[in-house]
Amino acid sequence: MISGARELGAYQDEPPQLPSGSFGKNALLRLGFVPGPHKSLLRTLHRRAPLIAQQALYWDEEMPGLPCVSIISNAGGILQGDRNIIEIDMAADAQAHVTTQSATRIHEMDANYASQTQLLTLAAGSYLEYIPRPIIPARNSRYIQATQISIDPTATLIYSDIMMPGRKYYGEGEIFVYKLFSSTIAAARPDGTSLFTEKFVLEPEQDDLTRLGAMGGFHVFGNVVVLTPKDKADALFELVQPVFDAENEIAYGASRLPNDAGIIFKVLAMESAPVMAKIREFWSEARQITAGHKVPENFLWA
Amino acid sequence: MVTLIRMAMDTEALPGRSMAGLLYLLQFGDSAFPVGGFSFSHGLESAIQLGLVDGPKTLRAFTETTMLQAASSDGVALLCAHRAVEAGDIDELIRIDRMTHERKLNEETRLMTLRMGRKLCELASGMIDAELPRDWFARIKAGGTPGTHPVSLAIALGALGANRFDAFGVQQYGVANAVLSAALRLMRISFVDTQKILLDVTALAGPAYNRVADATIDEMASFAPTVDILAAVHVKGHVRMFMN
Repeated sequence: MISGARELGAYQDEPPQLPSGSFGKNALLRLGFVPGPHKSLLRTLHRRAPLIAQQALYWDEEMPGLPCVSIISNAGGILQGDRNIIEIDMAADAQAHVTTQSATRIHEMDANYASQTQLLTLAAGSYLEYIPRPIIPARNSRYIQATQISIDPTATLIYSDIMMPGRKYYGEGEIFVYKLFSSTIAAARPDGTSLFTEKFVLEPEQDDLTRLGAMGGFHVFGNVVVLTPKDKADALFELVQPVFDAENEIAYGASRLPNDAGIIFKVLAMESAPVMAKIREFWSEARQITAGHKVPENFLWA
Repeated sequence: MVTLIRMAMDTEALPGRSMAGLLYLLQFGDSAFPVGGFSFSHGLESAIQLGLVDGPKTLRAFTETTMLQAASSDGVALLCAHRAVEAGDIDELIRIDRMTHERKLNEETRLMTLRMGRKLCELASGMIDAELPRDWFARIKAGGTPGTHPVSLAIALGALGANRFDAFGVQQYGVANAVLSAALRLMRISFVDTQKILLDVTALAGPAYNRVADATIDEMASFAPTVDILAAVHVKGHVRMFMN
């Protein structure tokens, strides 16, 4: 599906290293969560390196029954020719929090591309937070990500992406010097009725991402999707006061998605920290409304 | 005498387009064409209130961004819908209409495309003696399809025999003109400045067409997070002249 995308047309050459999608370059992580009497459980765990998850931990003091899983990469990032797949399956009434161990580094490339397909399935009454750490696309990298969501009308998903401009403080600083960053998020009901699609294809050599209206002068882009029943989405929407603060270099705001799917929240800033902080604040409000708990203070070391 | 005139016209006419064909395009591209476009600023109102747009230079940049985003999203919808009009494929038009609608991620943009799309189709069904505009308007009224603007425009211009290249030009011109007309009412700027910007930015439409000419409907894409946040600010704003 992804491999046929037109924007990948120029990047079909095979890497001189391991062939694309071959052993070690076809990571698969499948996480399946089920409800239990006192806490939800990570019942299914299939992993194929370099994506790894160890076990669910219960580190969230506000939701002690929430299994928290950190996705680990033992490749140190995403390399040319990688074809990652992440599947998260939420059984009815299950709850889970999934994140990544550290920023996802998309390394420099001189051949081919890397892809990540994410399939999120949420059955009735389930609750998933998928809040990975930022993605850093290095110079000349070509990356395509497709996130396909199937969600029951009674379930809640809080999903975020944070896109860095590159290795901002490496060498002379990389600000939008990657070749391709393509992202599609599409959500549908279990019966296939589509809800919304967001697609962007960023090719900084052809399009000036810093143009007014796109990134403007900002460097870091955070995008959060909250899919939840309409009454909760409305309550959350009421809470969010959009801000465009040029002096403090931050802007954010929420919009109601089509087909009463939920809310989309966007943040722009110069560094990852204010974006992550603002997302955490919004996520906490979303959790409070949808699950009845706030998000605990961030760990001192995080 | 008559022969002479006809020969002179033939040598100067563009191939494949009659004088009437040109004038249809002018009519549908005119900012006075009553589909309610004057109520929408494409986010310019917030951009001016927040000081992001404060003069000819920034207004030009904002107009260019709006046109480029339109080209890669609504432009693709228009071209694909035009193909479906040619093929007489109603199911495909319905699919394109739905996909266009579900890619409008903020409510004022959805409101704009639906309101203008419906109005345009209503006009076309009354103006043009063809079955498709009437049939499509009936579907919109019955709730059978959302009725987005690019699909209605493809149906209207397709019924008049306009080709895809020209239809795309009408759409791009309409977007630029809407932003610049709003600017005249929102900021201190002269007609000379807005008309000069319009003359300059219309040169973008041709290259934009070449980039999306053979795009398929699932390739619709746009990236304007600043405009998205401006839209969020606008929805909750207290002082508003425009609907987006």
